[in-house]
Amino acid sequence: MAGPDGQVPDAAETEASLLARAQAGDVAAFERLSGAYADRLFMLLYRLLGDRAEAEDIAQEVMLRAWRGITRFRGQSSYFTWLYRIAMNEANRALEKRARRPAGVSIGAQELELPTAPEEEPSRQAENSELRRALNQALAGLPPPLRTAIVLRDVEGLSTQEAAEIAGVSQAAFKSRLHQARLRVRAAVGDEALVSSGG
Amino acid sequence: MSMPGLASDHEWSQRHLSHYVEGDLRPRARRRLDRHARGCVDCGRGIRAMRALVYAVQGLDGLAGIRAPATIFDRVRLAGPGGAASSQNA
Repeated sequence: MAGPDGQVPDAAETEASLLARAQAGDVAAFERLSGAYADRLFMLLYRLLGDRAEAEDIAQEVMLRAWRGITRFRGQSSYFTWLYRIAMNEANRALEKRARRPAGVSIGAQELELPTAPEEEPSRQAENSELRRALNQALAGLPPPLRTAIVLRDVEGLSTQEAAEIAGVSQAAFKSRLHQARLRVRAAVGDEALVSSGG
Repeated sequence: MSMPGLASDHEWSQRHLSHYVEGDLRPRARRRLDRHARGCVDCGRGIRAMRALVYAVQGLDGLAGIRAPATIFDRVRLAGPGGAASSQNA
């Protein structure tokens, strides 16, 4: 994958060598290392927070915290998992802050109008746009722990082990949240819309 | 007259549809849900709906259309090389 400067790291520039350089204080190496995950990380924050400007702010904060903590990273998990864990903590902190505000800002489904993949045929886009809207609205309406579970497992496609580690809970607790989240989304969207989508 | 166990099987099945499609049920529990769903239109449809839900949610990633902002490393650049080193002693 291309780095933040759009260049594809050469074969010799492995994640391990970038990590070693970053831990020695090389900002450019840190950017190349973390830049490989920047789009996914931003997407995760956008989906969890539902607000692009806030997701941009938190994404900058995540990278700063990762940079400040890079020397403490010992490779007990993958770098990706470690970075996502920081993102999850920052997203939760932002959501808690939001919840404490007198007039809490809720995620408006209209704010979370994510584009469809360009390779999708126009007819299929039209067919699925209603379902996408309903799903996005249902996800946005979930309590943060349930939203996190379904986003990490189903949207991001992470394994249960990885997703549980990022969410900071046991695999059993994570599964419980995931199943609850799916049941709530199913109830919100309705069986008819789901079954007729032909998924 | 209601059949003993029928309502509880239905409620139990409805609560475990996600476990079912995820493959999280033990064989005996899976057989219980299978047996119930064969005679229950709602639960048969529920299984199809849950499978469709997981499939549809997986299609929401939209990664191709979203990019991280160009400013994502701005605070790191401001902190500079000392930003990482200084935290070592923090």
